[in-house]
Amino acid sequence: MSAASQVVVPMTVAAAAKRPPLARIAIWVVTLFLCLTPFLLVIVISFGHKVEGASWEWAFSLDNYQRVFVGANWPDEVTFLYLQKLYYSLYYAVIASVLAVLTAFPFTYLMTGLSKRAQSVWLVFILSSLSLSEVFIVMGWDVLLSNRSGLPMVFKATGLTQWLKDVGWFDTLRDWGLANPRNVKFKTSVFATVLTMAYLVWPYAVILLYPPLSRLDRSMTEAARTMGAGPWTVIRTVVLPAVRLPLIGSVLLLFVFLLGVYVAVTVFAEPAKQTMAVSVYEAVRGNTLNAPFGSAQAVILLLTAGLFLTLGQWLTRRNAS
Amino acid sequence: MILRTLGNLFMALSAVMLSLPIVVVCGAALNSGRSMFFPPRDPTLARFHEFFISEPVWVEALTNSMIIAFGSAALAVLIAWPMAYELWARGDKASKFLAGLGSMPFALPPIVFGVGLGFLWTFLGVLGSVWAGVVSHAALFLALPIVTISIGLQSIDRSHLDAAATMGATRAVTFRTVILPQTIPYTVSGFFFALVLSFNEFIVMFFVSASSYSTVTLQIFNSLRNGYTPTMAVAAITFICVSVMVFSAVARWGDLPRLMGAESTKS
Amino acid sequence: MKGLHLAGIYKDFGSVRAVENIKLDFAEGELTALLGPSGCGKTTLLRMIAGLEMPSGGSILLGEDNITALAAHKRRFGMVFQNFALFPHLSVRENVVYSLVIAGTSKSDAIDTGERLLDLVQLSGYGDRRIGELSGGQRQRVAIARALAQEPEVFLLDEPMSALDAKLREDMQVELRLLQQRLGITTIVVTHDQREAMTMADKIVVMSQGRVEQVGPPQQIYHRPENAFVADFIGKANFFDGVVEAGKVRVGQSLLELKTPAEFISGSPVQIACRPETPYLDSDGIAGSRLKASVTFVRDVGPVRDIHLQTEIGPMIVEYARGETERSFTVGQETIVTLPVEGLHVFPRNERAAA
Repeated sequence: MSAASQVVVPMTVAAAAKRPPLARIAIWVVTLFLCLTPFLLVIVISFGHKVEGASWEWAFSLDNYQRVFVGANWPDEVTFLYLQKLYYSLYYAVIASVLAVLTAFPFTYLMTGLSKRAQSVWLVFILSSLSLSEVFIVMGWDVLLSNRSGLPMVFKATGLTQWLKDVGWFDTLRDWGLANPRNVKFKTSVFATVLTMAYLVWPYAVILLYPPLSRLDRSMTEAARTMGAGPWTVIRTVVLPAVRLPLIGSVLLLFVFLLGVYVAVTVFAEPAKQTMAVSVYEAVRGNTLNAPFGSAQAVILLLTAGLFLTLGQWLTRRNAS
Repeated sequence: MILRTLGNLFMALSAVMLSLPIVVVCGAALNSGRSMFFPPRDPTLARFHEFFISEPVWVEALTNSMIIAFGSAALAVLIAWPMAYELWARGDKASKFLAGLGSMPFALPPIVFGVGLGFLWTFLGVLGSVWAGVVSHAALFLALPIVTISIGLQSIDRSHLDAAATMGATRAVTFRTVILPQTIPYTVSGFFFALVLSFNEFIVMFFVSASSYSTVTLQIFNSLRNGYTPTMAVAAITFICVSVMVFSAVARWGDLPRLMGAESTKS
Repeated sequence: MKGLHLAGIYKDFGSVRAVENIKLDFAEGELTALLGPSGCGKTTLLRMIAGLEMPSGGSILLGEDNITALAAHKRRFGMVFQNFALFPHLSVRENVVYSLVIAGTSKSDAIDTGERLLDLVQLSGYGDRRIGELSGGQRQRVAIARALAQEPEVFLLDEPMSALDAKLREDMQVELRLLQQRLGITTIVVTHDQREAMTMADKIVVMSQGRVEQVGPPQQIYHRPENAFVADFIGKANFFDGVVEAGKVRVGQSLLELKTPAEFISGSPVQIACRPETPYLDSDGIAGSRLKASVTFVRDVGPVRDIHLQTEIGPMIVEYARGETERSFTVGQETIVTLPVEGLHVFPRNERAAA
């Protein structure tokens, strides 16, 4: 809300602002209840204690956090198992979000150069794919990347696998974990995980980049052209500086979103490289059933997410001045 | 110009990439056997029949999905309106904070919100009820109608409000006769966005339903673990069609580019 | 400096022909105004000259070189856009020397040229300011300096005054004209404001619906309009429909005397245009057609008085400048209007002329 739009608030609307306190209180109560208490509960329960069976009790112990950071048997032995999971959460999320934004940027830029009608069509397409559940997407990619009937089979059938072996690149793929002795394999690999995660957020990237790119003043790119700037120079000197901030902001937002991805990781990531989101799930509803511990991890995720969101806010404010 | 063709090629390629898994899933739905093969073997439409009519587990899941989707979208719009209105009318720190609070569940990793909601409903003893599911999704997707309604409110010409006042309208009448009608497309689109996202949401629903009922996405996830049957792909196709229809409707009767953030001057 | 020549230029947008069969010459060192109402194709024409749009047909020559297919960034005609299109992320100086920087000019040379140009547009010392801090008039100057930095063959301006407030506009029209004359650069200005065109241009190209209506120096366009559209668009005119009758024109009950060109044979439907400053009221000594009239309204705006009349041939406005006459006119007053022969222009009456 810009200051200018506030100044012009007319009498009727200003009068509306003095609405009956009851309605205002109701809204505040509802919002606090629905949107804040769940997070508060997670924080509070993270200090709790697991009890025999599937239950837990209230407590104020830092055991769970200790376990996340240095392992349950500290100081006798130190394990960074959970920190490692956090590491993978960040690792996958960073690569996937950067990849998504990098590829979505040229697409969105091109799209905003089209007629309004064409843009509407593309937007319907993007929005429809965006709303597709993670579950469906994973299902689709699972089939596509399946070792027995998906792309690897296509590779073998078309002779691509043989060619790769002949050329010598097959061994490199093996080093990267993308092949076993007989054929390429894509399932359970960093590649597949990152690919699916990037795919998941790609439409979001387009949606996030759409406002700044569509508001880009085309006469600026034209002015640059009349001054001798070829297409790449135009992008480098006029477009990128104008959207630098939204680009970074989008990466941050998508990064935060990807921290919590669950389905894609369970299906596509190697067992040794799972993320914290997965272990939260396991702890709260899965095999390990340790709600306080799960909450502790969730809090860590929350803090990480909050950290990057605040970073994004700070960057926005800094550049607005 | 070479560059133009390159550009078009890139866009076409992106579209193909984007559609690839969807096409695979849709194609697999036509399989007659129990496995997901692509290209489909012995294509048949029997799966569609199973999904919509014969298999009770799917019919029930679909019903729950619809109840939760429509209910939560409506509730989200209802709660978002006063928030967006306060933000527009006052724009003070308090209303900004409120809107920020309402958008928080959407901005943070949904798994955390899901876990938290699970705890909340357990304490209130309603974990596993469909109504808790409706409220959970409403809270999760509040951000969407807040954004669309805010865009709508910002586009209202303030002089309209002045004109209404000079003709004797109280603030309530002005709201009902000027503000509300002018923001209908934005309210509707906020509703539809929340609706479609709710249909497809999984992780929060997982924690909130606690296995006592299932939605289509939950059902699919369960089957993910146990191997697919093509019937699930039918669900995928259904959802895609619903999404396409919904957004096409928004595009047809509203200004989709403007809604998504473009300025209204371009043609 | 070279002259610019357009031959057979046309532009289609889908099934709509925005610009049709343009043949124009822009002499070196001259300022030409493309003048017309919105939608007449003048901006499209300018953009084709700049290379921002490709013509659907025809050719553009700069001197002897055919530049029709040359991309905008190779033509490098300096252009000032309607909203100035200054880069907000660069300072004033950085904006001005942009073309030099991307062409690889050395930093010191670029800075020198930048200073020289800022001097030229009277913005010395503003080099380090941000675009957001500038007023509309200052932005325009930066845009001008920026376009001229690359020493272009042709200088193009798309409605350069429309983003300025009215008072500033008139001053800037004069200033820009003086600058152009000093630099001797071939310039093309697109405008919808006929006063602006009259102020600045060596030659005016009047356009309507994608076609050129008339080309000529301002005074010629004003005093010898070739059709009703030009007569109406430039300055003001009273219009009457009539029929040619043996060398004169019959309008209603009256027969008007005027210089009827030979091509009008008796019976042709015609339109007469009469500029408001040419008729006389209650003046016996003047030769011309006489009409009875009564005053319906008097508008006194200071330097001129517009007297609205209902005459035998229809409503008419007569304009008197201050000092031309001390007589006062009141509503309802009966008067005789004299229309001198040289003040009447006649055109064939057809659909297009009825603008």
